[in-house]
Amino acid sequence: MSKLFLSRHWFWFSGISFGLVLLPLLLAMGAFWSYLGEAQWLTYVQDTYIWRVVWFSWWQASLSTVISVSAAVLVARALARRQSFVGRWLLLRCFSVALVVPSIIAVFGIILLHGKYGYVNQLWRWLGGEPQSYVYGLTGILLAHVFFNLPLSSRILLQRLDAISSETWRLSSQLGMTSADLWRHIEWPYIKGVLPQLSALVFALCFTSFAIVMTLGGGPKATTIEVAIFQAIRFDFDIAKAVYLSLLQMFFCGFILWAGLRLGKPIEIFVSLETTAKNMRPDLRPIVGIVSDTVVLLLATLLVLLPLLAVVIAGINSAWAEVLLDLRLWSAFSNSLWVALSSALLSLLMAAGLLLAQRHWRERYAAASLAVEWMGSVILVVPPLVLATGLFIGLSPHVNVFAINLYIVVLVNALMGLPYMLRVLSVAYLKIARDYDRLSSSLGIQGWHRLRYVEWPILRKPIGLALALVAAMSAGDLGVVALFGSPDIQTLPLLMYQRLGSYQSEAAGVTAVVLLALCLGIFVVLERLLGGSGD
Amino acid sequence: MINFKQVSCRLGGQKFSFNLQLPLGQVVAIMGASGSGKSTLLNLLAGFIQPQTDAGQILLDGQRVDHLEPSQRPVTSLFQEHNLFAHMSVFNNLALGIRASLKLTANEKAQVEAALDQVGLKGLGSRLPKQLSGGQRQRVALGRALVRRKPLLLLDEPFSALDPALRQEMAVLVKSLSQQHQLTVLLVTHEPKDVLLLAETVVFIADGGVHWQGHSKDFLQQKDPYIQAYLGQNC
Repeated sequence: MSKLFLSRHWFWFSGISFGLVLLPLLLAMGAFWSYLGEAQWLTYVQDTYIWRVVWFSWWQASLSTVISVSAAVLVARALARRQSFVGRWLLLRCFSVALVVPSIIAVFGIILLHGKYGYVNQLWRWLGGEPQSYVYGLTGILLAHVFFNLPLSSRILLQRLDAISSETWRLSSQLGMTSADLWRHIEWPYIKGVLPQLSALVFALCFTSFAIVMTLGGGPKATTIEVAIFQAIRFDFDIAKAVYLSLLQMFFCGFILWAGLRLGKPIEIFVSLETTAKNMRPDLRPIVGIVSDTVVLLLATLLVLLPLLAVVIAGINSAWAEVLLDLRLWSAFSNSLWVALSSALLSLLMAAGLLLAQRHWRERYAAASLAVEWMGSVILVVPPLVLATGLFIGLSPHVNVFAINLYIVVLVNALMGLPYMLRVLSVAYLKIARDYDRLSSSLGIQGWHRLRYVEWPILRKPIGLALALVAAMSAGDLGVVALFGSPDIQTLPLLMYQRLGSYQSEAAGVTAVVLLALCLGIFVVLERLLGGSGD
Repeated sequence: MINFKQVSCRLGGQKFSFNLQLPLGQVVAIMGASGSGKSTLLNLLAGFIQPQTDAGQILLDGQRVDHLEPSQRPVTSLFQEHNLFAHMSVFNNLALGIRASLKLTANEKAQVEAALDQVGLKGLGSRLPKQLSGGQRQRVALGRALVRRKPLLLLDEPFSALDPALRQEMAVLVKSLSQQHQLTVLLVTHEPKDVLLLAETVVFIADGGVHWQGHSKDFLQQKDPYIQAYLGQNC
């Protein structure tokens, strides 16, 4: 058994972590339980509105998944083939940025681009067409979901393709394989294995997506369960209905998670985002391939770059001085920064505590150790809005939830980041245990020295990336904040949402740029500062 | 005759330049320290690396091959690993050597079966690579070399992952197959035993070029300081 730096005090540390993870979950479940008696089940089951919402949730998530993943296959293949494509650097950068852009920013960019007075319609009018209103509803939701999930899926698939050995490529060129042969014998067998899990991941993300559907959806025709929960609490004040919808949502999420696990092994999330493999492929010359790859890569670049550009351009306007001198902006800014850093740190502490306990238990209590592994998955069954709803219901009778809203936002966001933290850290922990445990023990490297010279150099990169992602995600959160939103305590995404809703487009533009800068800044600083540069 | 005339290339800051003449129909051992350029020589011949300038020429029987695509060159390569497609049966892995579409005539299927027999894998055609041992997997790759019917076989340390008894077994197999099919074999190896067992000629590579070439019997007795250092005969 290895001796970690914290091993002597692990019991207290792990106990607190367990408490922080389990208490909110139990509180939320208890709150749902207490409302079970009051729910008018029959009314809800017969409510056609609810069934329409359920149908739309599945429908939009299915479409988003099919479009994102199949387009990602094309993009990943084109990227793998064109290692020296001129725009490759730009495209990969855009894809990284898309991982940390808050959804409200993407929505804003998409409206600027596709709205009734957006660039696309302006171009259309210039060509002589009538302006079309298509962004609100299913089309807009799909555009936003593809904006986020195409980059994510492409990266995961590209990593699979990059894992193909150089010998395999040499062999294929010696055997004279055509592009179709390569696809059939090499590429498809390689990516086939991750497609079910990848699809399940994208589906779950789209199924529980909140901010996008709330802003671009609207009306009974384009509402998901996640948004319906919010509306039940904030607009209808119908807690029992929110509980019913939450239970429904948890049931569906559990089903998606179960289906994903049945279909394949979990996707490995690699720390490295760049590709180094120089492939020697026999299908680089044909002009058809060059043209089709260029078109695919160009479209992918435009898909991600244009909304972001539109946001930045919208931020350059005459209202900037007024907005930047407004104290409300800076109070929201500092709240968002605080939420981001606290959530990330809390998430890291939770994950570290759980993993420490797992290491100590692994030998004696297999079941307890398994429970830690499951804890990460359980959280995936409870989407942010559901957990927030549970806490809202559970805490309301005892405290003024609107006064402590930021703490709840931090707690929920930390829990949402936990599965990712656990995944990233456990891989690194395992690596240390496997590769260096015996060596360190035999050399007598313990305690502080072990943390300093063995663990930190290995852990800093994954920790830096995980903290950066959770922090950026929390800074851009609009689900939980909206549920507990009060006029007194603002965050940047909430301010942005209000300005978007009240048609203050110039102020919204400046706010958007500030929020975008905050998220990218947090991400870059945390990743570089903690992760270090290079290996 | 294999002929390298002033063939140069640059890889990772190191410059390689080869001048070499080798007779056909022999087993030639390519030796030299790690990073000296043994694999580079094979990669140039197979077409996986392009020569740096057009001044250099690679000739086979007087014909230039350096401008040909890898698939058009009369060579088959065998690597240390990753020679097989993991998701494909042994039979299909061999069949790829005939046609990448895997659509074979009855006659061609018989050729595949015959090759499996020759490398000692009769009846294992339906297995997947992961169901075979390391030695068996390399035999599959050898079988594919046979169905491809290319006169040159380039082996890049193909036995180094195998234990001594298996190595010897494979070496004997390569020897007998090369005699049976009149193959020219270029074998990159670090093992003096392979040289004694298999090779008639040795090419010793050092500093990115051919340092010594001669009969394998003379190689192990060489007083050349480079070769002695390589073989560990200094002390």
